[in-house]
Amino acid sequence: MLDFFARNRVATLCAVTVLAFLLIGAVAPGYLSLSTASVVMSNSLVLMSVALGTMLVILTRNIDVSSGSVLGLSAVVLGLMLNDGHSLGVAIIACLVTGAVAGLINGLLVTMLNVPSIIATLGTLGLFRGVMLILTGGNWIEELPQSLKGLAINGPLGISILTVVVVVALVVVGFCVRQTRFGRYFYAVGDNREASRHLGIPVKLVQIAAFVAAGILAAIAGMIFAAQIGFIPNQAGNGLELKAIAANVLGGVSLLGGTGTVPGIFVGVIFLTSIDSALVFLKIPAFWNDFIAGAVLLLVLLLDGRVRMAVDRAIRAKRYAVHHHGPSPTNIDQPDTSNPSNRDGASASRPQEAGE
Amino acid sequence: MKRYVLRWETALLFMLIAEFAIFGMINPRFLNLSNLLYSTSDFAQIGIVALPLTIVIIAGGIDVSFASAVGLCAIVFGIANFFGMPLPISILASLLTGAMAGLFNATMIHVSRIQPLVVTLGSLYLFGGAATVLSGVVGAGGYEGIGNFPDVFTSFAYVELAGLPAPFLVLLIEALILFIVLHYSRFGRSVFMCGLSEHAARYSGLRIKTIQTITYVLTGVFAAVAGLVLSSYFGSARVDLGTATLLPAITAAVLGGASIYGGQGSIVGTLLATLVIGYLQQGLQMSGVPSQISSALSGALLVVAVALRHGSAVLADFIAARIMATNRKRAAS
Repeated sequence: MLDFFARNRVATLCAVTVLAFLLIGAVAPGYLSLSTASVVMSNSLVLMSVALGTMLVILTRNIDVSSGSVLGLSAVVLGLMLNDGHSLGVAIIACLVTGAVAGLINGLLVTMLNVPSIIATLGTLGLFRGVMLILTGGNWIEELPQSLKGLAINGPLGISILTVVVVVALVVVGFCVRQTRFGRYFYAVGDNREASRHLGIPVKLVQIAAFVAAGILAAIAGMIFAAQIGFIPNQAGNGLELKAIAANVLGGVSLLGGTGTVPGIFVGVIFLTSIDSALVFLKIPAFWNDFIAGAVLLLVLLLDGRVRMAVDRAIRAKRYAVHHHGPSPTNIDQPDTSNPSNRDGASASRPQEAGE
Repeated sequence: MKRYVLRWETALLFMLIAEFAIFGMINPRFLNLSNLLYSTSDFAQIGIVALPLTIVIIAGGIDVSFASAVGLCAIVFGIANFFGMPLPISILASLLTGAMAGLFNATMIHVSRIQPLVVTLGSLYLFGGAATVLSGVVGAGGYEGIGNFPDVFTSFAYVELAGLPAPFLVLLIEALILFIVLHYSRFGRSVFMCGLSEHAARYSGLRIKTIQTITYVLTGVFAAVAGLVLSSYFGSARVDLGTATLLPAITAAVLGGASIYGGQGSIVGTLLATLVIGYLQQGLQMSGVPSQISSALSGALLVVAVALRHGSAVLADFIAARIMATNRKRAAS
């Protein structure tokens, strides 16, 4: 039982989330309702989309901290196109292309110039924000047409078109990384880049693809942001990149690459977003928000780290126990005898090399 | 001679001189000595936090929580002052809070054994939230500031000592102390060793945990110093005092030559990089460039500078490989 939870971060987080929901529901009646769920879902859409893109980048053992600015930039492109009288379809395509180009710049910096990804995206974070401000001239974009705002209106099931878009994105990305050959490359590249290269995986292409996908998903988030809020302030998306990384970490994505799932992202984002709505129901002032989010994040990390260490130790103990009581004691002796001989072999070969 | 010319710091110095030359041509008032000195008050806090951050990065860690630790320490100072504590005790409380924040980060990193970036990301929210909650306690609520400081404190940021404005002087003294600590002490050498190879450092008997803990505590303490300087400069302690230093400070450390993988970096480099970044902003403003374009340009500067550094390394490797290949071909034929 403990083993299962220790190995399965998503299950742990699910259990914690459900428990938290039940506790809050017990304290504040009326919290557990369909309307709350609908509010949490629509509030989480922007973060969900950004976090999904960030996951793809983290899977390949890079990191993307520019997504907040990409969101702002592509939202501004969308808003300017719409206010210039272009149709919604054209504007959305331009918005997505902006995101893709921004991602491509990140990808090329990281793969072609070998700039560490955190530094490259830190630079483009400022760069894209600046380009966005140049485009708007420092003004907010207001009076967005109703065609865009209409996307955010909830349909009969309490679900808007935007929710459908994000769910489709989740499913598509989830399918790709689990079922397709190219999707599996993301895990391979993140887990062991050198080995992947030797296996013939296009390592650079995979990394660029991850950055471009992250850019496009940030652009989708920008579209959702503009549709939901109805205007685009200068600081649109500010600080969202850190929240997205936090959601990834909560959802069990390892920053060391090669580990992470789409359901994990979903639960992580819902958990972070539901903190906000729970505070409203518990009548706690909003300024506790960051404190609680930080405390929860650190607590989950601490527990996770400790439990993982304990499990590792238990597994190791089990393995040694098997060896000690195993049927053939020679199993234990073999590595002991082979190791020194190996070492001898190595030291013996060294003088030869020097001789050559 | 070559040892000094072919250094990254020299390149940074040329960058700074080029900035002075260009902005001086556009607007001669930029080169006015008192302008050059007093504009440092607007960006001294970036350097104050970037210098200890450099040491953390060299030791193989990273800390992003200093941005909210600045606000937290300022708020603690404000509250102590609000409850009528004498000035020295309020300042001490603020510095102690910074040290505790650093100690908290280091302990969390060592206990959970999770990457420092993730842990400090969590404490970035935690410290920021704690500061907001604390300022709510004294009724300053939300993002309003705590003011009403003694005149001695508020005039500190405008005092001129030895011809230098106080914030800049604080930065210079700090740089001198950290320069000696990092480059001329046993502790400094072990910081580099930790970052180069943690395993090698452990096997050679260094106390890695202690060394890394000290680097985080240093960052916390100097975050408090930055918080105090800013509170004095603005005349009020606010929660969001430090948020604007997060990216410029990391940029300064990286632009100054610190390797994000650890084991590389220098105090002089970070100090010069702080000046490059700070004067770039000031110069652009004085040349009549809108602030939005100046932020784009400083982002671009980071990308270009780092791409140049890494690009030149890649190019050097490539050329070296080509020379090797031709030599081998010549030897074979």
